[in-house]
Amino acid sequence: MRMKLSSLGLAASLIAGAATVAFAQGFPSRPINLIVAFPAGGSTDIGARIVGAIAEKAFKQPVVIVNKGGAGGQIGWTELSRAKADGYTIGYVNLPATHTVVLDPERKAIYDLDSLVPVINQVLDPGIVWVRADSPFKSFKQLLEEAKAKPGTIRAATTGILSDDHLAILMSEEAMPGASFRMVHLAGGAAQLKEVLAGNIDVAFDNVGSIVKQVKAGQLRGLAVLDTQRSKFLPDVPTSVELGFKTVISSSTRGIAVPKGTPADVVKALADTFKAAMADPDHVSKLEEQGLAIKVMIGDEYTKYYRDNYALSKKYVEWAKSRPAK
Amino acid sequence: MRRAWIIASALLAALFGYTVWESRKYAYLDALGPGPGFFGIWLGGVGVLLALFLIAEVVRGGAFLDGDARVLPALADVPRPLAILVGIALVAASVEYVGFRLATLVFIAVLLPLLGVRNWIAIPVLAVAGSWGVFHVFYHWLKVPLPLGELGI
Amino acid sequence: MEGLTFLLNGMIAASTGQNLLFAVAGCFLGTLIGVLPGVGPAAGTAILIPLTFKLDATAGIIMLCAIYYGAMYGGTITSVLINVPGEAASVVTCLDGYEMAKQGRGGTALGIAAIGSFIGGSIATLALVVVAPYLAQLGLRFGPPEFFGLMLLGLCLVTALAGRSIVAGLLMAIVGLLLSLVGQDPTRGAPRFTFDIVALYDGVDFIPVVMGLFGVGELLSTAEKPYRDVLKTNLTRLFPTAAEWKRSIGAIFRGSGIGLFMGLIPGVGAIVPTFMAYILEKKLSRHPEQFGKGAIEGVAAPETANNAYANASMIPLLTLGIPSSPTIAIIMGAFIMKGLAPGPFLFSEKPDLVWAVIASFFVGNVILLVMNLPFVGLWARILHIPWQYICVGTLLFCILGAYSLRQSVFDIWVMLAFGIIGFTMRKLDLPTAPLILGLILGKELEKNLRTSLEMSGGDFSIFFTRWLSLALLIMSAMIIIGSALSLAPKEVRESTAD
Repeated sequence: MRMKLSSLGLAASLIAGAATVAFAQGFPSRPINLIVAFPAGGSTDIGARIVGAIAEKAFKQPVVIVNKGGAGGQIGWTELSRAKADGYTIGYVNLPATHTVVLDPERKAIYDLDSLVPVINQVLDPGIVWVRADSPFKSFKQLLEEAKAKPGTIRAATTGILSDDHLAILMSEEAMPGASFRMVHLAGGAAQLKEVLAGNIDVAFDNVGSIVKQVKAGQLRGLAVLDTQRSKFLPDVPTSVELGFKTVISSSTRGIAVPKGTPADVVKALADTFKAAMADPDHVSKLEEQGLAIKVMIGDEYTKYYRDNYALSKKYVEWAKSRPAK
Repeated sequence: MRRAWIIASALLAALFGYTVWESRKYAYLDALGPGPGFFGIWLGGVGVLLALFLIAEVVRGGAFLDGDARVLPALADVPRPLAILVGIALVAASVEYVGFRLATLVFIAVLLPLLGVRNWIAIPVLAVAGSWGVFHVFYHWLKVPLPLGELGI
Repeated sequence: MEGLTFLLNGMIAASTGQNLLFAVAGCFLGTLIGVLPGVGPAAGTAILIPLTFKLDATAGIIMLCAIYYGAMYGGTITSVLINVPGEAASVVTCLDGYEMAKQGRGGTALGIAAIGSFIGGSIATLALVVVAPYLAQLGLRFGPPEFFGLMLLGLCLVTALAGRSIVAGLLMAIVGLLLSLVGQDPTRGAPRFTFDIVALYDGVDFIPVVMGLFGVGELLSTAEKPYRDVLKTNLTRLFPTAAEWKRSIGAIFRGSGIGLFMGLIPGVGAIVPTFMAYILEKKLSRHPEQFGKGAIEGVAAPETANNAYANASMIPLLTLGIPSSPTIAIIMGAFIMKGLAPGPFLFSEKPDLVWAVIASFFVGNVILLVMNLPFVGLWARILHIPWQYICVGTLLFCILGAYSLRQSVFDIWVMLAFGIIGFTMRKLDLPTAPLILGLILGKELEKNLRTSLEMSGGDFSIFFTRWLSLALLIMSAMIIIGSALSLAPKEVRESTAD
């Protein structure tokens, strides 16, 4: 009887031990909330839903997309930074936007660089400078020379104050000393398209993914892709680097991050599963359909990118704040 | 009615006055035109004047007032609206901790009798349908994220 | 003619199983909302948005639009049977509709309302088909200065036409505009009036405000004074007699015209065309003394105008991306949630979707006619459900809706606060429409002003050198001067307390 009891105890402790191991290994045991700091239907949201649907099969738990849009992403990132660091609330960070919110003291951000830990990057959408097909601007160089000859007259659209496109305009001005644009902050890609076609705006700075279709259709002309290599979606558009503007490199990246303090094994489980999901052919083809270039970065590589991007953004945010509006 | 109008206008005037005060913290003009404080100051200012005008009008016996309609509910009519307000407030305060289902279950089960329903079969049935049932439809079928609470229910 | 081909394709799309199903579901839910006293089309559409989250864009928008005009129709039933307007635009229907019901002609009143609504809605939709592509072409030339002018015009109209006192209307518009200042300012992107509450960084979302003012506020009123018993009236005879028909037909066509025209102008609101149609009939009638005592034209005209307005108000939304009423603003929000920007581009970029939605208006009008004529007794029976169940059920959906739009508990609190404010405003007879439109248009107004000035480098002449913008500014000024001189018909102003 005694023996039986002790063996029962042993069995119980074995089960308990198995359970603790299972907790570490068996992450996740309930649904994972994936915060997207932009409304449903945007390109961050589309990417999140595609990868989330694949990852949830591997997790064997639902990945629930939670759209916390507003204030240029600030609300969602604040929410993410405040969430319980248990891996059940994770979220998308969009660089450099996540950083520029922190870097602008006027935005009163209550999270900072270290509040979020980058896990894995999904998309790198390079910047592009584009004009209407019948625009007098035939090349990026000519555009910048014109902006130098007639400073403050060429109307250039961003997709928002301190967006990556705003920084890209500053980089362009820096690359051609004396050049300056008349900056118009629009709400996004659709607004840019409308105003450029209506002739209210001369040139727009945006990301490749937003306008692949229109450039291919010949409605718009891409002047330069702001990257080191040509975009595979628009192989005919030259890069800023090959045109000789080596400092004009801008992109918007989207990746997954967790709140500071999330256990290392949970981070690893997340990174591994999402990495596998991003390699899935279904993921690759669906993202390409959207004109979104996949760029998986993980571990130290992504952490370095996350920090380098902060330093780079810092310089331009400070400049943006001090640059006269006219 | 008359007193209610005066109180309401005075509250509005105070709100507008505060807006003007707060707006002074923000730039009035910038290089391109109206700054972040511009509209707060002007709208608040005009608002204060209009509210004061309205008070003067009411005191003089303005034509737009409806005789002696009561503004405050009669004492016997207070509990029902109050129960609704408290009910919503309790759901808002608790929903993220106890989850949507539990919060709305209690909400329905308590509010219905408070509003005078005495059908003791309908109340539990509706409470379960309105909480677990609605949650199931929206969370699982329509994929609307609803709070699960600390206990995961 | 090109429009007709597109419309035909749209008809095919709108009649496919799924889309038809959602149109029927929307009409049903909308009528239900309209029938339930205390929840109007604005709050009703808002709380039902979560139903469309999972639907594709076409089906979701078809359903929301069906909810909208279903609710516009459903309001009639309560007006006629219990003398309580199910929604604001049915206020005037109470005058003669309830009288008709008391005389045992309730069925005829509802019948003529259904037929009138069908004709008015169809005419307005036909106008949409003809006019929309041209307006969309014009809309392509609308830049930030023109949008600024248009928003200003809408705001001037809503203020001038709202409530019995212009001062009260102005005050409420200012409250709305000040609320719109909360959040990131468009000049520097810095949070303003946020009291360091992160949920406010993006401003006050208008949807929980609508749910509060029009939903919770109304329910509080219902709870304070539960509504009366349903009138027992004859619902078997629905079709008007030849004599009644003769009296109504002119009213129906004039009502259609008024509703259609008013729907084109942003900011007018659903209640104005109904009153104008009523007043016009009374003036034209050879026996004006019968109005208010059960005159059938007194039901036919406003109900027709009401539905013509509802369908026509989709025109500025689809062609210019301008919401002309709180409900339309909610439908616009649904477009945006589906990743679509309503406006001139929609016609060129998503013709399939736009024309399917437009065609669904025709389909919806037929569905409503079918749903209402034979089943009117069924709807009347819904009014027998004790108000407590309806009240608690609606509150539940208000909470769910307010939370789920941004997954934000803060929005439930916003809804609650505006419920109390709406309850109080009702008591004081303060108009709610200027507040909502001030909130909705205010953000756009400031943003478009800023963008215009960014485009011009700070030169204000941009507003006067573009003829469209100039015309809009002159019209706005005329409305303000006109209303200051009290040119608007007195009856219209007095009756538009909502």
